[in-house]
Amino acid sequence: MSTRTLSLPRNRDGWRAPAALAGVLAALFVLPVVIDDAFVYHIFITICIFAGLSTAWNIVGGYAGQLSLGHAAFYGIGAYVGMMLVNAGVTPWLGMFAGGGVAAVVAVAISYPCFRLHGPFFALASIAFLEVFRVLALHFSDVTGGATGMMVPLETGWMWMIFQDRLPSLIIAFGLMLLTLLVAWGLRQHRWGFYLVATRERESAARSAGIGTVKMRLLAVAISAALTAMLGTFHAMYLTFIEPGSVFSLTFSIQIAMFALIGGIGTVFGPLVGTILLVPVTELARGWLGAEAVGLHGFVYGSVLVIAVLFMPDGLMSVLSRFFGAGKTARDEDAAGTPPAPTRTQAQRAPIGDVVLQAEHLDKHFGGLHVTNDVSLTLRKGEVLGVIGPNGAGKTTVFNMLSGFLKPDSGRVSIRGADGHFHSPASPGDFARLQLGRTFQIVQPFAAMTVEENIMVGAFHRHPAVADARRSAREIAHRMGLARYLDDEARGLPIGGLKRLEIARVMAMEPRVLLLDEVMAGINRADLQEAIELVRTIRDSGVSIIAIEHVMQAIMSLSDRVIVINSGEVIAEGAPEDVVRQEAVIEAYLGKESIDAAAQ
Amino acid sequence: METVLQITANGLMLGGLYAMISVGLTLIFGITRVINFAHGEFLMVGMYIVYLITTQLGVHPYASLLLVVPALFVMGALTQKLVIERLRNSDEHVQIFATVGLSIALINLALLIFGADIANTPSSGLRHSVGVGTVGVLTGQLVIFFSSIVLVVGLHLLLTRTRPGRAIRATAQNRAAARLMGINVSRVYVLTFGLGAACVGVAATLVAPLYPASPTIGTYFVLIAFVVVVMGGLGSITGAFIAALVIGLVDAFAGYYLGSDLKEVAVFGIFLLVLIFRPSGLFGARRNLSHVSP
Repeated sequence: MSTRTLSLPRNRDGWRAPAALAGVLAALFVLPVVIDDAFVYHIFITICIFAGLSTAWNIVGGYAGQLSLGHAAFYGIGAYVGMMLVNAGVTPWLGMFAGGGVAAVVAVAISYPCFRLHGPFFALASIAFLEVFRVLALHFSDVTGGATGMMVPLETGWMWMIFQDRLPSLIIAFGLMLLTLLVAWGLRQHRWGFYLVATRERESAARSAGIGTVKMRLLAVAISAALTAMLGTFHAMYLTFIEPGSVFSLTFSIQIAMFALIGGIGTVFGPLVGTILLVPVTELARGWLGAEAVGLHGFVYGSVLVIAVLFMPDGLMSVLSRFFGAGKTARDEDAAGTPPAPTRTQAQRAPIGDVVLQAEHLDKHFGGLHVTNDVSLTLRKGEVLGVIGPNGAGKTTVFNMLSGFLKPDSGRVSIRGADGHFHSPASPGDFARLQLGRTFQIVQPFAAMTVEENIMVGAFHRHPAVADARRSAREIAHRMGLARYLDDEARGLPIGGLKRLEIARVMAMEPRVLLLDEVMAGINRADLQEAIELVRTIRDSGVSIIAIEHVMQAIMSLSDRVIVINSGEVIAEGAPEDVVRQEAVIEAYLGKESIDAAAQ
Repeated sequence: METVLQITANGLMLGGLYAMISVGLTLIFGITRVINFAHGEFLMVGMYIVYLITTQLGVHPYASLLLVVPALFVMGALTQKLVIERLRNSDEHVQIFATVGLSIALINLALLIFGADIANTPSSGLRHSVGVGTVGVLTGQLVIFFSSIVLVVGLHLLLTRTRPGRAIRATAQNRAAARLMGINVSRVYVLTFGLGAACVGVAATLVAPLYPASPTIGTYFVLIAFVVVVMGGLGSITGAFIAALVIGLVDAFAGYYLGSDLKEVAVFGIFLLVLIFRPSGLFGARRNLSHVSP
């Protein structure tokens, strides 16, 4: 996903952003009270409701990156559950939570099978669910009132959320909006918010960091649906009448999503900004022109949407944060300084210990292709095991089985846990919990997150509290020479930086076993020596390492032992200098002729 | 038995109609990888043009083909050129919202110009029933059914037997390689989008005498078209044709046995099942899976 600042600019001694936010929120409440006009009240209540809905949508559509265009389904569930309970004599204050609960359960049930779908297809599925809900609400008219709709019984007062005056409605709408904003803000600050964004950006890297990606998405969907439904209950009381066509409406869903998009999708306060900007314009247009010009406000909506994505695809928040970020001070700590080269601790290297990882008879077929044929290997504590072999030999496939990304057809991977016993984990998350970390051959940064946040995702593994994780991430960034990039988005890093970031994220997990997939490939000579030193430092700290590498200089100087894989089989194993002299190995790399040529 | 035959006939006729509307969508998706949420509104615009021509000039609805097809081609080409092209490197959600915005704008523009009332194109005898024994269908439906076959075969031949067709397919396979082979990729996209929209123009001309035009007519049809396109295997034109017939039959039978209000539940239920369990479509090879995680 593209550039988006994830929250208000973190401006250390900045007061402008929070002050602006407080001012805007205060104005939302104070202005209508001061003006005291029914129409103005109505507009501000509508703003509060839509800002809440859009903020709730953003938890799924923005943070988690699942573009739902069927959120009106949850709104409708809230509205109908609340309305039915009110007609049965239950106050909407309870109905609201009942609706929220039902919506959360429904959301989890319908989203679970849809998470494999990307972008437009998730959107299509959500639209289809919405249509099904609408048709069902129309069909079961004895429960829902069908096309004739449902009315609230005309009892007023706080108990029923229905008032003669506008002020109490504004208080409730404003309160619900604040609640939603608070949840959205709190979630983004929490470890879970990082997990959600990381999952959106790179699912595989997120899984290797031990994130339960499906669980996180379900959590987001449940929270978002529950908040949406609560707002739906209140809105139904405010409108006093609901019917399936207007409640389970695709247009309504699109509107909610659109406010978030225009304000800044994925940002905490973007949906609020988008709503404040667009609702008054369209409500005024509806009020003044509605009678003569049916469709004008819709035409304006549509055109604004097209123009906005063409010229401001990151939303208003990116424009605003540029303004608010203008006074941003440079990082005080070694901001401009060159990164300290990783210095090798001269501590004595501990002797190689017991077996920590064992792979037995791994077999894997892809269709008719036998990519891994009876591969067994062991790794001892503090050891560096090099894995070499020609391209396409099946090295990365072995790695994928060693880290839980692929399930072997037969054979078994076991890891000694911190408890000293061997375990056979099944998923990448289980492997991560046993403190196995891996890098990816093609770097997998969380592009829209800053370098610091990227490393924090790994650090959460050992430090669940955000402050601790941040501290740990900074420390690792310093060690890895990434300190000056801390506040930059990962997408902007040069390839050498991305490679270092890939290792930094894994190191933040404080792994006991580390799988490095071609981390030296494509980096220049000067960096190579540094990288080799770095791996040595990691090894000396007691981490056991398996490294796939093509750079011979690195393999020869780092590995205690080397195995050679060719065509999915282990063809040689031993000390590096012995292995590279074996005929089979040379043949695998260079072909049979070169051995003959060498013999002549 | 007669009922079943009649429902089958209705289902096949509906299937032809759905195929007609869906081929353009699947063509555009297959090549440009963009889901055009405004596809239904292209149909709506086409139907209004047919309505205007027939009522203003008093010609046979099919005669408006000469104007509707080029008009829709231009509309599609412009959409690609002015909107999609600029967003090619943007995120998926930006592309989605661009066509969603276009769709909202067009619906409401129609509402502004024509109002919410329906606009009846003169049927010019196309609503006459023809049939064998007790099974009868409308002449207009038969025309649609056979035209959809001609359209599918025609598109297939165009894509496989002609030079621009090969360029289009090559671009779909690998944009970078196609460019290296000297293909003007952005022109291919514009051409494809125009072609897809032109197919909708054909559909609009044939549909208008049977269904009244209204600003929201596209919304209903486009959802069905999405179902057909996904079920047929994204980008597969023949797959879409078969899927359209299947959905047409489901629609007709569900309408009869479940009631017309619940038939949509059946159609969307099938759609969701396909999306979840066979995202490559019922007939698609397992190649177009870029939209799902393994």
